[in-house]
Amino acid sequence: MKAEDILALKNEAEQELKTAKNAEELEKARIKYLGRKGLLPEIMKGLKTLPPEERPDAGKYSNEFKSACEALFTSRLAELGTDNGAEQKDSFDPTLPGQWQTSGSVHPITAIIAEAVTIFSSLGFTIADGPDIETEYYNFDALNTPDDHPSRDTQDTFWLDDKMLLRTQTSPVQIRVMEKQKPPVRIIAPGRCYRRDTTDATHSANFQQIEGLYVDKNVSMADLKSDISYFARRMMGPNVKVRFRPHFFPFTEPSVEYDFSCHLCRGKGCRICKQSGWIEISGAGMVNPKVFQKVGYDPETTAGYAFGMGVERIAMIKFGIPDIRMLYDNDIRFLRQLAL
Amino acid sequence: MKIPLSWLRDYVDFDADANTLAERLTFAGIEVEGIELKGAVPENIIVGEITDVDQHIHANHLYVCLVNNGAEILRVVSAAGNCKAGDKVPLAGIGATLPNGMTVKAEKIRGELSQGVLCAEDELGLSDDHSGLMVLPPDTKIGRPLSEFIGPPDHVLSLEITPNRPDLLGLLGIAREVAALFGAKIKWPACDLLEEGESVQDAVAVAVEDSAACPRYTGRLLTDAKVGQSPFWLRRRLSLAGVKAINNIVDITNYCLLECGQPLHAFDLNLLAGKKIIVRRARDGEKITALDDVEYKLDPQMLVIADEFQPVAIAGVMGGARTGIQPGTTSILLESACFQPALIRKTSKTLGLTSESSYRFERGVDINQVDFASRRAGALMAQIACARPAKGVIDVFAGRPAERKIICRYSRASNLLGVNLPAGRIPAIFNSLELPVVAEDKDQCTVSAPTFRPDLETEADLIEEIARIYGLDKIPARDPLCHIVASADDKHIRDQLQCRQLLAALGLQEIVNYSFVSEKLLDMFDSAFPERRIKIPRPVSAEHTILRDSLLPQMAETLGRNRSRQIDEAAFFEISRVFAGTDAAPFHEETRTAVGLMGAAGRALLHKRQALTEAEVFSWLKGILYNFYEKIRKEEGWDDSRNNDAVKRLALDEFNGQIPAGFYAGCFKPNRSALISIDGAPCGVMGLLKDEIRREWRILEPVGLMEFILDPFLKNAFLAPSAKTLPVYPSVTRDIALRAPFSLRHADIIKIIRKNSPKELTSVVLFDIYFSKEIGAGFKSMAYSLTYQSPDRTLTDDEANRLNESVKKRLKDELKVEIREG
Repeated sequence: MKAEDILALKNEAEQELKTAKNAEELEKARIKYLGRKGLLPEIMKGLKTLPPEERPDAGKYSNEFKSACEALFTSRLAELGTDNGAEQKDSFDPTLPGQWQTSGSVHPITAIIAEAVTIFSSLGFTIADGPDIETEYYNFDALNTPDDHPSRDTQDTFWLDDKMLLRTQTSPVQIRVMEKQKPPVRIIAPGRCYRRDTTDATHSANFQQIEGLYVDKNVSMADLKSDISYFARRMMGPNVKVRFRPHFFPFTEPSVEYDFSCHLCRGKGCRICKQSGWIEISGAGMVNPKVFQKVGYDPETTAGYAFGMGVERIAMIKFGIPDIRMLYDNDIRFLRQLAL
Repeated sequence: MKIPLSWLRDYVDFDADANTLAERLTFAGIEVEGIELKGAVPENIIVGEITDVDQHIHANHLYVCLVNNGAEILRVVSAAGNCKAGDKVPLAGIGATLPNGMTVKAEKIRGELSQGVLCAEDELGLSDDHSGLMVLPPDTKIGRPLSEFIGPPDHVLSLEITPNRPDLLGLLGIAREVAALFGAKIKWPACDLLEEGESVQDAVAVAVEDSAACPRYTGRLLTDAKVGQSPFWLRRRLSLAGVKAINNIVDITNYCLLECGQPLHAFDLNLLAGKKIIVRRARDGEKITALDDVEYKLDPQMLVIADEFQPVAIAGVMGGARTGIQPGTTSILLESACFQPALIRKTSKTLGLTSESSYRFERGVDINQVDFASRRAGALMAQIACARPAKGVIDVFAGRPAERKIICRYSRASNLLGVNLPAGRIPAIFNSLELPVVAEDKDQCTVSAPTFRPDLETEADLIEEIARIYGLDKIPARDPLCHIVASADDKHIRDQLQCRQLLAALGLQEIVNYSFVSEKLLDMFDSAFPERRIKIPRPVSAEHTILRDSLLPQMAETLGRNRSRQIDEAAFFEISRVFAGTDAAPFHEETRTAVGLMGAAGRALLHKRQALTEAEVFSWLKGILYNFYEKIRKEEGWDDSRNNDAVKRLALDEFNGQIPAGFYAGCFKPNRSALISIDGAPCGVMGLLKDEIRREWRILEPVGLMEFILDPFLKNAFLAPSAKTLPVYPSVTRDIALRAPFSLRHADIIKIIRKNSPKELTSVVLFDIYFSKEIGAGFKSMAYSLTYQSPDRTLTDDEANRLNESVKKRLKDELKVEIREG
């Protein structure tokens, strides 16, 4: 059959399919044209007998014939199937659920770290890291926390052997960076830390910290306050307040602890902040000259600040998480709620 | 450290309530962790006088007392053995509620009417003394509320004392700080002694063999002491401070410890063999039973207080039970000493024994206050226990420590704090803290650090004092300055963060598990390499005994935990460090990525219910892997993400029995797993979790797991791709369908298609695979779409057909497969 005949037959078939009044008539038309012994398979078989120059067009038209009529049949069948007095004639339903690959999300801990990285990057900090398994020297001795001093007891340590331990803080990264690099140094170092704490709603034996260190010629407590306050506003919103309390850490002098005003109750007092209106984030201070001496910096001409921050703490207040264990439970419903 | 405010007010006047004081202390670096109102007397308890006592006729252990409550005489039944006519005692009248919740009412007890309750101290919540009725002084007024005698309840502050400030481990030290904060002066307690009789030197001999370990040892003798219960005021103070009352002598030593921060010990002189005190190192094999009734083995590194024959105290840690104060003790040797902090710390750690004493000694007591505390305790023993202080004191003093002079440059302070302090402010702060300024000019001052402040060693320590007292809130916070340190390179760490975002974008949810894991869970997965595991000595819980050497076990456990909460599907990833020990590197750590798939996570919404096939889950894993890889490293010539086979450097292979050490490949189903390599080096594994393992968590469908080391992926990661000219001439696509036995794999087919393939063949994509009766059992139909394109001209149909025919021919010749036409 020639191409134009095929086209003509196609029109005929379409007409019949379109005008079928019920499912029965429609099926009859389908069998007539598309059935196994119908007209279309007949044409297909006949293609071989055509002169070669006519074959491509005839082939193309037959294929179009097939697909167009099949589609027409399907949609007409759907229409006639619902033809029980229903108003809508086709099955299109814009209220069906949308479909697309659902995206996942990073864990709230990662989200906080990533945001902290962004904020501190904007202040010119770069990122550093160090091992989870540390030496006694980096975790304690170089940080002015000798074995014979009770300041060691404030961090109950997982010792792996005589000299190796799971770092109790990210502060050893300070030493590792300063040993390799002359001032200025301006880094943050996120990472896991470990303390022999009994796990409860606010403590976890395995937790995450972000360390910060800025060393140059003239770094002051005012810089520390400025930078941490700026970080707090970027992380928690413009209304957050930060307060600094004097404290003691062996590797900073003067040392402070700092608190954020509670995000949930805006400082009025609630369950999360234990009615105080404040949530302790971590410690900070001016690098102790003894630490500078350990890494070969001249304490007379160098000054610096260091800080730590508890990642889970920040996540808990930012997202209103009442129990730190929820962050390590990995219930997908919980994680999806916090997907950013 | 618990500080009852009424007690603190003995030493310093300050005009502030508990909350204000707490805030001032907190912002001076002495953190107040809590404020408690303690020692309230319940209402409706009055002072009654027992006028008569009779044995209860029906009960041997009960007494019937007549009690005058000031208005009438009541009958009260009591079980107390010390009911005595004429005593004034607390009477809970009808309607009173005791701290244990009991409301007093009139009732018959074994047939006798009782119109109230006579109270012991513990029943009133005043102490834990239940030895008998609380007996009030004879001059107490009958009928008045008991609270008039006891006094109002007291605020008790719980302070966190940082380890650098031993001076704050006594109320006088706190008082000194409060005085500085409120501009007040300390009122020192009385310690005048009326010494009489024999001299202490005649009664006892003290020898200090190791003066480095014990730079000062004092002994004071008190005779004719009467050991008994302490007066109520003393017991109440100890109770408010959280210390148990024992007897008057021991209570006084504890009271002075809390007051002065100086630990004291009282020996019964008559129990000291040879009336000798020798401060020496312990000898091999020596033992002592301490006041806690535990026997401790001593070693020669430890310092002991010994009599002529044996140790009578572990120096600085705890006294011995044998020579302590007994009920009949009359002669007391009162020890007040100073020991080397590191030594006491070591002893305490070795013995696993800490005490209020060791806590203070290891932080350092004030060597100059040793005798003051002894005099103070002596004075109290004279006042309370009728003891008579003997003449003099034995004071073995190695000599005052060298004076520590520290210079504070005002410019340094201003620079470090970032604030200019008003002239004169700095020395004024030092003086207020009793840190004597011994020299001063316009640029700096010199402080002579007192012995009670061992923490003050350097200029920075003094600057901290300035910051504390001046107030951190007065240091300005301004807009931050950006400062770029150009040399720093952190690409590697940023890339890791980027990888997390990538996997999330691929539809996976990140999880974070603990670094600790249980041995049981690891063994369930694979016990192939147990010797690599790093065990935690003294783990906190049985669930956390090993530092994980793979992320997979907890990944599967997390899927299981979610399934137990009726979660049908999850697609998780974790990027974390794992830890393993080898001979070469006993504490190796590396960052790995794990992926876990459960349920129809990869399916479109309307197809979730169809049964999952293993092939499908495996293909998702592989799809994630290749997509992830593609996003990190764009390979030359690879521009179609469907086309895994064009990736040259990432490879998946069968294990062939070769499992790289450190990978939990034993958890996979046989023939449903693969080895991941980059540039020929194995770096990960993937596969379907064994049925018996997933059933542990009642997961019924295939579970896909994958784990790889991240570093090889990050080599040359995220490099800027370079733009190439897009092809100008149209491409031609031809399909090839073939019938192949199951044993013939896609990779084999691709290899042949690509073998010597013309440069015009730009892409080969599998677009269909199916099985049917027509194809035959053991066979599959696979259909590929091949794209031909020339960079410099339009390919004709004929050319494309010729090229395609040559591919078909190769397939037929080399693979003996049937090409399906039409």
